[in-house]
Amino acid sequence: MRRILLHRLRKSMSDGLILNDISLVIPSGKFFVLLGPSGCGKTTLLRLIAGLDVADEGKIFLGNEEITHHPIHRRPINIVFQNYALFPHLNIFNNIAYGLQLKGLDPTFVKQKVYKIIETFHLEGHVFKFPSQLSGGQQQRVALARAIVNEPDVLLLDEPLAALDFNLREKMLIELIELQDKLKTTFVYVTHDQFEALTVADQMAIMNHRGKIEQIGTPKEIYEFPLSSFVARFVGTTNILHGTLYNLKEPDAMIRIPDLGDFKLYINQRKEWMSEGREVLISIRPEKIFISRKKTLNFSNTLKGVVQSIVYHGRSTQYNVLLKNQMKLQVFEQNEEHFPQGVIDYDHEVYLHWQKENALLLEK
Amino acid sequence: MKNSLSSSLKHPYIGIPALIWQLLFLYIPLLITIACSFLHITDQGIQGLTLEKIKYFLTPLYLKVIGFSLLLAIVNATLCFLVGYPLAYFLAFTGKRFKNLLLFLLLIPFWTNFLLHVYAWFYVLEREGFINNLLIGWKILKQPLTILYSPAAIMIMMLYFYLPFMVLPIYSSLERFNTSLIEASLDLGASWWQTFRRIILPLTMRGVRAGFFLTYIPSFGEFVIPSLMGGDKMMFVGNIISEFTLVEGSDSFGGAFVVISCFILIATALLFYKILGYSIQSRGKVK
Repeated sequence: MRRILLHRLRKSMSDGLILNDISLVIPSGKFFVLLGPSGCGKTTLLRLIAGLDVADEGKIFLGNEEITHHPIHRRPINIVFQNYALFPHLNIFNNIAYGLQLKGLDPTFVKQKVYKIIETFHLEGHVFKFPSQLSGGQQQRVALARAIVNEPDVLLLDEPLAALDFNLREKMLIELIELQDKLKTTFVYVTHDQFEALTVADQMAIMNHRGKIEQIGTPKEIYEFPLSSFVARFVGTTNILHGTLYNLKEPDAMIRIPDLGDFKLYINQRKEWMSEGREVLISIRPEKIFISRKKTLNFSNTLKGVVQSIVYHGRSTQYNVLLKNQMKLQVFEQNEEHFPQGVIDYDHEVYLHWQKENALLLEK
Repeated sequence: MKNSLSSSLKHPYIGIPALIWQLLFLYIPLLITIACSFLHITDQGIQGLTLEKIKYFLTPLYLKVIGFSLLLAIVNATLCFLVGYPLAYFLAFTGKRFKNLLLFLLLIPFWTNFLLHVYAWFYVLEREGFINNLLIGWKILKQPLTILYSPAAIMIMMLYFYLPFMVLPIYSSLERFNTSLIEASLDLGASWWQTFRRIILPLTMRGVRAGFFLTYIPSFGEFVIPSLMGGDKMMFVGNIISEFTLVEGSDSFGGAFVVISCFILIATALLFYKILGYSIQSRGKVK
C-alpha cells in the first residue's frame, strides 16, 4: 500500500478558482474523509486523484511515483460515483467483471473472483439481474464491488451514500468501516455530511468554501479542538460568542462579552494571536452546557436566560435560550430519565453553566 | 386520482384524421396495387387471377436491378453510419458551445430546392468543375478525373443527402448519454476505444438502428440521384417502376414490380432489424 501525496494543487474552472494550493498527505491503509460544504471543490480534488481531471498546477504522488499526468486507465485507483454509474446494458455479473475482463484475464479466474466478491457483498440472488432491477442499496453494493474487485491501491468514494435513506445509510457506513478494516485499502471518502464523516473517518480534512483545507485530524481532534470558527461551526453544532480577551495568565484567561459579563477561559495551547485586549471568539458545544432552574455552584461560568423554544430529539432535548444581549444559545440535555425532576418549560428562567475547559478560544 | 388522470390523457379519437388520410391515400392504393399485380385485366374487364406479371420480373435482368438497389441502400446506410456517428459524437460532446449553430448548419440543405443541390453537385464534380480545377490548380493531377456519371458521384450525393437522417437520431441518443458511464469505464481500466465499443455504442444502438432504417429504406427506392448523378448508366428499382408506370403506361406491370421489390425490402429490413437489435440487450431503462 502506498500513501498519496498532494503537492500544491491548484485548479480553476470557467466559473472561478476551485482548488487553491492544496497540499495533503493521505496515509496508506486508512479511512480518510474529505469533508466540506457543497461546491467547495472536494469532488474536484477526488477527480484529480482519479485522473478524471487534470490539475493546472501542482503534483500528485502515489508512494514515490508521480502520477499527475498518468492517464486515468493506468492508475491503480478506482472511484465509486455518486450516481453509481452502473452500466445499464450489462447484468450484475458483467458490471462487476468489467475491469477484470478488460485485463484479458482467464475467464474461469474472472468468474471465481467475481463470485467471491458477489458473496462478500450479499448479492448472490442478483447475478443475472440488470442494475435497474435493483434497489438503491443493492446498486450501491454493486458499484463498490465493481471497484474493489480490481484490488486498487486507493478507493475513492464520491458521496456514495447521498441517495440512500437514513437507516440504510447508517447500515452502509458500518459495512464500509468493516470492509476497509478487512481490505486495508486506502479509502478516500468525500462528503458534505458531518455525521458520515465523523462515523467512518480515521483521519479527516475539512475544506472551506474557498477551496482550502482548514484542518486535518482525527474526528475527535476536529470535533473537540477545531482550529477555526468555520470548522467549529461546520462540524457539529456550536455556540459562538464574541468578546475581548483580557487577564491573560497562562493557562487561564478571561473574556469580556458585552452586556453579558466576564467569563473564565482555559487556554489549552498558546497561539501567537492570543494577546490581551484582542477581539476573539469562543465556541461552546451545546452538549457541554448544563441547564438548570436553580443556580449551581460547582461550575466556572454561569449565565442567566429565558427558554424560548424546546425541540425534542428523542435521545436528547434541545433548548434555545435567549440571553440578556438578545443572543440565543443552544443547549442539549440527555434524556436520561423516564420521569425527570424539575422539568424545564417554555418561558422558564434558567441558569446555564459550563466549565472553563469546555469553552474554546478562537481567532476572530 | 392517478387512474382518472391517465384515462383523461387517452384520447383515441385524436388519431382519426391521420388514420383517414392514411387509409385513403396509402392503404387503399397499396391494396389496389397488390390486387392489380395478381389480376388479369383486359379491355373487357377482370379475367381472373394470374401470376404472369410477377413471373415477368423474376428474371436475372430485373433481379439484378433489385440487387443493385439493395447494394445502393446498404452501402449508403453504412457510409452514413461511418461518417454520421463521429459527427453526431462531435455535436453531442465536443461542440457544446456551437451545438445549436452546428445543428442548424446540418439542417440547412433541407431548406433549399432538391434540384438546386443536384446542379450544385454537377458544378462541383464535372470535368471542368470545382474539384478537378482545384486538384489541377494545386498540381496534384495533370488530367481531370471523371467523377460525374460514375458510382462515386452517386454515392457522394447520396451520402450528402441522407446524412442528417443518420446523424439526428444518433445525436439524440448521445445527447442524453450519462457521461459518468464513460468515466466509470475509463476508471475501470478501459481505453477510449474499448469504452466506445463496450459502453457507448451498445447504449446508442437504438439511435443507430433508427438512423439505419431512415437511410436504408428510402435509399432502396431512390432513383433521382442515381439517374442524374450516374447518367442513367445503371438501373435501379425506382427507374424500372417509373419506366413501367409513367413511360409505357402499363401500370399493373409497374405494380407487380412494386410488390416484388417491397417484399424484398421488407424481408431485408426485418433481417437488419434482427441483426442490429441483437446488440441491444438492455432490459433496463437506458439512463
